[in-house]
Amino acid sequence: MMSFNIGHKKVALLWALVVCLLLGHNVYLWMVKRIVPDTDIMALLPVQKRDPVLQQSFAHMVDAAQQRIVVLIGAKEWVDAKRAADVYRDVLAAKPALFTGTQSTDQLQNDWLSTFQEHRLILLTSEQENQLRTQPQQFWADSALRNLYSPFAGPKLGAWRDDPFGLFAGWMQERAQETPVRPRDGYLFVADAETHYVLLPLTLSQSVFSMHVQQAVMNVLNEAQATVHQAVPHAEIIAAGVLLHAAAAGEQARGELLTIGLGSLLGIILLMWATFHSLKPILLILLSITIGCLGSLSLCWILFDRIHLLTLVFGASLIGVAQDYGIYFLCNRLSADVQLSSEALLKRLLPSLLLTLLAAVIGYMALAFTPFPGLRSMAVFSALGLIFAWLTVVCWFPMLIKGGTLKSGKFGRVYGNTLVHWPRVQLNKIVLIGGIVMAAFGIVRLEVNDDIRLLQNPPQQLISDQIKLSKLLDAPTPVQFYLVRGATEEIVLEREEALKKRLDGLIAQQKISGYQALSNWVPSAQTQRARRLLSEQRLLNEGGALAQVAKQIEEDADWVADTRMHLLNSEKIFTVDTFLKTPSSEPWRHLWLGKTQEGSYASIVALRGLSNKNLTLVKQAGDGMDGIQWVDKVDEISSVLGLYRQYMGWVVMCSYLVVFGLLFSRYRRDTWRVLAPTAIASIITLALLGWTNQPLQLFHVLALMLLLGIGVDYGIFMQEKVSESGSDGSIPGDRMAERASESLEEMNKSSIGNSQEIPNLNSVSSGGITPHPTLLRLGRKCAGKGARPNELSTAWLAIGLSAASTLLSFGLLGLSKTPALQAFGLTMLIGIALVWLVVPFFRKEI
Amino acid sequence: MFKKIGIFLCLTTVISIATAADPLIVNIQSMLEKPAVLCGRFDQTKNLIGMKKPLASHGRFCVVKGQGIIWRTLQPFPNTLRLTRDEIVNYQGDRVAMRLDAKQEPTVRMINSVLFSLMAGDLGQLHDLFDIEGNEKSTSWQVNLTARQPALAKAIGTISLEGGAYVKTINMNEASGDHTTIVFSGIQTGKSAMLPEEKALF
Repeated sequence: MMSFNIGHKKVALLWALVVCLLLGHNVYLWMVKRIVPDTDIMALLPVQKRDPVLQQSFAHMVDAAQQRIVVLIGAKEWVDAKRAADVYRDVLAAKPALFTGTQSTDQLQNDWLSTFQEHRLILLTSEQENQLRTQPQQFWADSALRNLYSPFAGPKLGAWRDDPFGLFAGWMQERAQETPVRPRDGYLFVADAETHYVLLPLTLSQSVFSMHVQQAVMNVLNEAQATVHQAVPHAEIIAAGVLLHAAAAGEQARGELLTIGLGSLLGIILLMWATFHSLKPILLILLSITIGCLGSLSLCWILFDRIHLLTLVFGASLIGVAQDYGIYFLCNRLSADVQLSSEALLKRLLPSLLLTLLAAVIGYMALAFTPFPGLRSMAVFSALGLIFAWLTVVCWFPMLIKGGTLKSGKFGRVYGNTLVHWPRVQLNKIVLIGGIVMAAFGIVRLEVNDDIRLLQNPPQQLISDQIKLSKLLDAPTPVQFYLVRGATEEIVLEREEALKKRLDGLIAQQKISGYQALSNWVPSAQTQRARRLLSEQRLLNEGGALAQVAKQIEEDADWVADTRMHLLNSEKIFTVDTFLKTPSSEPWRHLWLGKTQEGSYASIVALRGLSNKNLTLVKQAGDGMDGIQWVDKVDEISSVLGLYRQYMGWVVMCSYLVVFGLLFSRYRRDTWRVLAPTAIASIITLALLGWTNQPLQLFHVLALMLLLGIGVDYGIFMQEKVSESGSDGSIPGDRMAERASESLEEMNKSSIGNSQEIPNLNSVSSGGITPHPTLLRLGRKCAGKGARPNELSTAWLAIGLSAASTLLSFGLLGLSKTPALQAFGLTMLIGIALVWLVVPFFRKEI
Repeated sequence: MFKKIGIFLCLTTVISIATAADPLIVNIQSMLEKPAVLCGRFDQTKNLIGMKKPLASHGRFCVVKGQGIIWRTLQPFPNTLRLTRDEIVNYQGDRVAMRLDAKQEPTVRMINSVLFSLMAGDLGQLHDLFDIEGNEKSTSWQVNLTARQPALAKAIGTISLEGGAYVKTINMNEASGDHTTIVFSGIQTGKSAMLPEEKALF
């Protein structure tokens, strides 16, 4: 025993050193490095690794949108809208560091046109191209004459002879209609039937995922909004952008972190006070939790170099789990013989403590097998936290608390006595069949849900703003689009054109409102040649529409020849490069991926006015076309969620086998009693989900995994034979009985001197000078069968304390507004409550 | 030429400075009649670059307050244009040759309001878009309009208006070299000014 003590002192010192390092690192992280948790929801999602071009295209679309905030400021009268916008802009102008300036578009417009005018002959809308093929020459002659005589027959660019048939103007008009936003009086203007809006596109100069930036930007936006409402009370302000979502999610997570963290801490303190009536155990438990949290934070930062805010929220529920080891030790200290040194007690408890840790870590590590970086860091964070808390208990608790320092409160005794009310279950057919029928009834009703919205639940205001804004701006979604690939630029453009022909059908059926593609601006060389030929044949050549016009306005053949030459001015092919070099291509550059890592070329065709109900139809439009791929990030994430829901289901079942194997080495024929409560709780939880029509999702399954890790602890506590020094459970029965009765007598002896500290919670507490006859009888009876009632009620108390605090922390997680965390928390809440309720049925025979 | 205003409203940024209570504008405004219905004959002459002969056309027009404009070219090619608050429609006979509405093209409302102001001589409105300089006599006036925004100015060139109680002449010099003159005559006001076929268009 002496050598063990000395060894233990060394271990405790070593651990003190580790804890000092942790403290130092944490001080460095928070005070020097000033780390800020991550708030990017996308960082939680799996990365598409198989197809780098696909990933690149997605990044291209998202990056273009990410740094932007779009603000619409509206009023019934355009003058008021402008006034409100000026006020808003002035407030923002006071913080120039946050936003990058937008360039004036004035000079731009002229260069714009000249680039396109050079190629006007090949810039046609698809409708015009069809009309050129099908309409008689008279149609074109009429159209030219209409442009000639009527003062405002339609849009017109340049002189009449630059575009006699109005084709180029029509094409330009179609391009302008790719967005409903128009410049007006130096503002960007958009409107619906009632309201005129000024559009303010803001580009952030710093990362939207920095919490400092979020806070600063939100402050300015709120201030601007308040100022506008003072100046123009009825002004409507609609804002949307990734930053707003990130900021809302961040704020929500911070709030929840506080609720869950403080709530569970407070709960634990109260429970501990009720049980032990002293400050010391509370401080000890808090110590183990704190070291657990600091340790996992340090190591997680070293491992991942970042930490997500949601990881911390999830990690806050760790508090409810990490205290299990401390509580188990303290409850046993309370019930164990005062003479028994804490070191010796630990030695006895060590095997079961190790098993409980292993089971919980296995539970958490299963989360780490998912491809979700977010879940992985949550799992690692939690597992590390448990290990650190566990090590603190093992290394320090024996030194910090001696026999006889703990007193039990009335609460503990009252609670401990409740155990006798539970009947003990034998494995029989009725129980088995009854359970299976009940569970099957609920489980067959289970439906599934793998919606991406599980991961984030922005405030209603943000969603409705977003919907209104995308309706007004008719902008394409950045997460659903066509990816077009080909060996050369020309092939990509040709494939885009083929795809667009099919999409035109959908526009005609009003399934989508339009598409954005680079080939809208730069037709493929093949199309350019065909259009040129078509224009020459139908309009310009001898006997074409131009000659007809000449006849009507009494011009001669020379005029026709001149005009023809003027229109055929440029034979150059219009290239993507030429277009991309013009400043006017800026809004469309994100659609062109150019040369990719694979060496091929790629581009994006984005769709406007896409709704969920037409998704399948739109998706099918690209079927059977070479180099055309439908990309749907929403669908991809949902299918990953679904895949991992199934996969994790199997992992849970396999983990039961692994844990069974682990426990079998110690509990042999009673192993099923350790696992049964958790298994039953899991099945009932699933059945409850079915009964209440809650669709099953990945996060329920993940919670069941963790439930296994924690629930098994209670099974272990209930089966443990503390007073027994052997840890292999294979001690012959008579020796075990002998030992047990010895220690019982020893304990009774000691209780003579310490009548107030009778550790036997189940016996009458007013022990006198002589040992209570019932107690002795009971003790002998128990010794004969291998376990004593006070051990069971010690276990029962430990289970009660840890279950109550786990319930509290996961119950608080169940209040989270993030649906995934909520599902996780609720599953844990129900599951843990059930295990607690069920575990006494499976207690060891007395 | 009017068309250019339209397309450039679509494509360019137009800087507006608050309307000044310029005495010239105030005086012209007071000279102008503002009838609810204004109809008459127009004679349009276009001198287009690359063409030797000017192109002449004539027809009838109506400007109806709160409703819009009807522009009926009668000679040499019959063609009717109707501009209302939310729509521009071009009829060739009974056939709709072109239709542009505000839903498709948000600037339609702005284009139509500018055109209405030009025909009605509403300089107060035009002052938002144009620099206005000119002179007035006791019963007549003349102004030159230059778009405030350089790109718009470059595209449409200059517009000049002459008139008295009504606008009499519109002159447009495009930067491209095309030149248009429209002369209004036989002006009638009041409900009876509109022909039945014109009434039918609203």
